[in-house]
Amino acid sequence: MPPAEQWNRLLQRVAQTRDRAAFGLLFEHFAPRIKSYLMRLGTPPGQAEDLAQEAMLTLWRKSALFDPARASASTWMFTIARNLRIDAIRKERRPRFELDDPTLALDPEPDADAGLEMQDSQSALRQALRVLPPDQNEIVMQFYFSDKPHSQIAADLGIPLGTVKSRLRLAMARLRAAMGETP
Amino acid sequence: MTVRHHPDETLLLGHAAGGLDSAMSLVVATHLSFCSQCRADVALLERGGAALLDDLAPAALAGDALARTLARLDTAYALPAVPASNDNTPAPLRAFLGRDLSGVHWRKMGPQLGYVNLVRRGPLALRLLRGAPGSDVGRHSHRGMEYTLVLRGGFSDETGSYGPGDFQTASPDVTHNPVADHGEDCINLAVTTERLVFDGMVQRVVGRLFGF
Repeated sequence: MPPAEQWNRLLQRVAQTRDRAAFGLLFEHFAPRIKSYLMRLGTPPGQAEDLAQEAMLTLWRKSALFDPARASASTWMFTIARNLRIDAIRKERRPRFELDDPTLALDPEPDADAGLEMQDSQSALRQALRVLPPDQNEIVMQFYFSDKPHSQIAADLGIPLGTVKSRLRLAMARLRAAMGETP
Repeated sequence: MTVRHHPDETLLLGHAAGGLDSAMSLVVATHLSFCSQCRADVALLERGGAALLDDLAPAALAGDALARTLARLDTAYALPAVPASNDNTPAPLRAFLGRDLSGVHWRKMGPQLGYVNLVRRGPLALRLLRGAPGSDVGRHSHRGMEYTLVLRGGFSDETGSYGPGDFQTASPDVTHNPVADHGEDCINLAVTTERLVFDGMVQRVVGRLFGF
């Protein structure tokens, strides 16, 4: 079973049967990576540790809301960690975008094989990120792993904001293409 | 309903990666409620974040981290209830306002315009703006950026016309006079990073008075 599918199954077991062994496996995979992610973003180690545990507690509490057709377990954990960090820094709630919001504009009909395709595309996406040209990769990494506003990212790299935008636009086109999406 | 004007890649990635200012993030999140194309882009960028997170070298946790977390699993908690909207207010905005759009208390600025200040942080302001059909706010330019999301109705200016879900980005080099379309009131959610600069003397005084 591919790893992405394995995490999805474990998370579903947590949701359906409150399976603590499954939770333990998820914890051992995700918690150290979330701590690592938070520290890359400048969170002190002690707080990163607390937030990583908090993220796993959030997984346990919200597991019933997990839907593998919409997002993989890894993506779901990324958004939980990201939101907890923002809440911790800003002491205010991040505007949450609710996928079950009845006011949403209609999406195209979901594909029956969406879950399966998502896994293939996850490794394609990872590969596409790895092979971005260095000038695009540098900016994308700054967005994910620094807490700077984009004007500051541009200033630190010594390039105009317009160049940041055009490089990001090119990077997005590559990522979309890797997923077989047309812009 | 077709959304024609979208936030640029810096805003979508800033929102997905979590570095965007919270007031701007609210405007982007509310745009997502209208726009499946930008939802797909943000979903892609969140998956990118997950791929990067997965690739990080794991950091060592405290020896009792799992035991301590397991001990907390049974503590009582309640997931926040999200009440249904009665007037189709997008969920991110409704959660921020704590009510539907139809329940907000507008402050009047003359007979045709209304506003609600949602966030003031230094020179940055997040506001709801409302204009009667055909009304205009007065020709102005910007010291910083102005991001405007149409929630209801629409407006037109020198750069084009904007309807529900459309996201306008006005940089300091844009001077415009948005005029509300005929039909219904135009309601916008807007962030300005610096104060506006009005051309007209009257608007300049009124703008100052109301903090624009």
